[in-house]
Amino acid sequence: MTELLEVEELSVGFRTRRGVVQALSQASVTVGRGRLLLVVGESGSGTTVLAHALLRLLPRNVNVSGSVRLGGQELLDLSPAELRRVRGRRMALIPQSPASSLNPVRRLGGQLLEAAQARGLSEQQSRTRLRELLGELGLDLAFVSGRYVHQLSGGMQQRIVNAMALVGEPEIVIADEPTSGLDAELVDTTATQLREISARGAALLVITHDLRLAERLGGRLALLYASRIVEVGPTAAFFAAPAHPYGRELLRALPEREGKSIPGMAPELTALPGHCAFADRCPDRFDRCTESVPDLYPVPDGVLARCFAHAER
Amino acid sequence: MGTDEVGRDLFARVLHGIRISLTIAVLAAMAAVAVGTLVGVLAGTLGGKVDAVVMRTTDVFASQNHFLFGILLLVLFRPALGGAGAVMLAVGLTHWPSLARIVRGELMSLRERPFISAAVGGGASRWRLARRHYLPHLMPAVGLAFVLTVPHAVFHESAYSFLGLGLPAHQASLGNIRADGQRSLLAGGWWIALFPGLAILVAAMAIGTLAEYWREHLHPRWGSELEL
Repeated sequence: MTELLEVEELSVGFRTRRGVVQALSQASVTVGRGRLLLVVGESGSGTTVLAHALLRLLPRNVNVSGSVRLGGQELLDLSPAELRRVRGRRMALIPQSPASSLNPVRRLGGQLLEAAQARGLSEQQSRTRLRELLGELGLDLAFVSGRYVHQLSGGMQQRIVNAMALVGEPEIVIADEPTSGLDAELVDTTATQLREISARGAALLVITHDLRLAERLGGRLALLYASRIVEVGPTAAFFAAPAHPYGRELLRALPEREGKSIPGMAPELTALPGHCAFADRCPDRFDRCTESVPDLYPVPDGVLARCFAHAER
Repeated sequence: MGTDEVGRDLFARVLHGIRISLTIAVLAAMAAVAVGTLVGVLAGTLGGKVDAVVMRTTDVFASQNHFLFGILLLVLFRPALGGAGAVMLAVGLTHWPSLARIVRGELMSLRERPFISAAVGGGASRWRLARRHYLPHLMPAVGLAFVLTVPHAVFHESAYSFLGLGLPAHQASLGNIRADGQRSLLAGGWWIALFPGLAILVAAMAIGTLAEYWREHLHPRWGSELEL
């Protein structure tokens, strides 16, 4: 069976004066229809680049290789016009920080309508659809239409961008850090909203560094470290027993577990080591770890981990 | 207000002059704003080499004395376009560089704002970006440049007409009336130069007041500024 979204060996590098910043190295993930994939990683590990690369929202100084297929169609080869028909209609983005992702000098009504009409709806259809959608999210179209972004609370702004992403009934929704800057209660609301999105049948790819949100959402999880996927598997399996030492240390760092931070820093993306990127910080390091980059090795429960500790099995 | 040196009613001439001068000034300011916006948008959106070439050309224009450059344009175009047309063109083609720089700068910073990439991610085309996202942000700068250029253009029309390069001497523009008044000054006719001068001042203030109103009532960002 072909999955809805198939990302294969996707690498993204930015050409800068200090050399190539390798933001993503050979990432392969798949998301099925109505399924949920969490991409978890600390800031700077390549998570947002992955989200933006799927929609080709990348600057000009970028090297992209690999393959991104949506329903079998290769996205990296599309012309700008073809790409516009995918963006928003088939693959929608819930951007990071809603406050700055909405135009500050235009009223929201116009922006919402524009988003709906860009998905091919007539003005009348757009209004009806938006009224329904916002109603489900607990907002009134008439109330928000005449207002500017800065006049709404953070939670309301989040719901506005959610509605904008959903209005075209996309096949897949990519949510980039949907809970950054939200308090616990709003994180709850957002988690509920995200679960509703996948309940409607859309596939969902959530980028987050919020492990609590990840645990609540379930589905499958891909853990990124220093531009590479280091562990992929069911979210429940990850939270029960992470297969990669980085995942283990990350969970131990949570305040409700041990609250013990990982010593050292993640490596600079301009100078990634020729061996396991986590080796310098790893408590279980052995000789091989500083010799070459490990592959993703299978671990029981359908988990893959990029660690030599699992190579022998 | 009395009469001028040949017995014509000055009030009637000033009223008529305001009409001519303001028409020329508004059209000239529109031309200047159009050129400035176009150049700025070209440089700001295309970037790279286009940006470098366009902006250095702009520097060359900005470094020239724009009054002299205007006179050159007048001499070139007056035979073909007549006095009024040539003045419009001369003012329009000499007052765009500062706006072009402002527009380019605004676009440069706008392009990096998250809502632009969010719009692109939502499937916005170049045209939709320009119309729905860039333009609303550029409007304050463009509008301000327009209202600042209008009174300036009135002064230019006066100056060119005063030098005999603008409108024909029989046409009652504010500049021409002032030029007449200058000659009468030595004979004690102070009012002939004063009233058209005052008319220019009042017109400039009126446009400034309109601009102020526009800025306060139509621009949302000022509504959210903190009180200091």
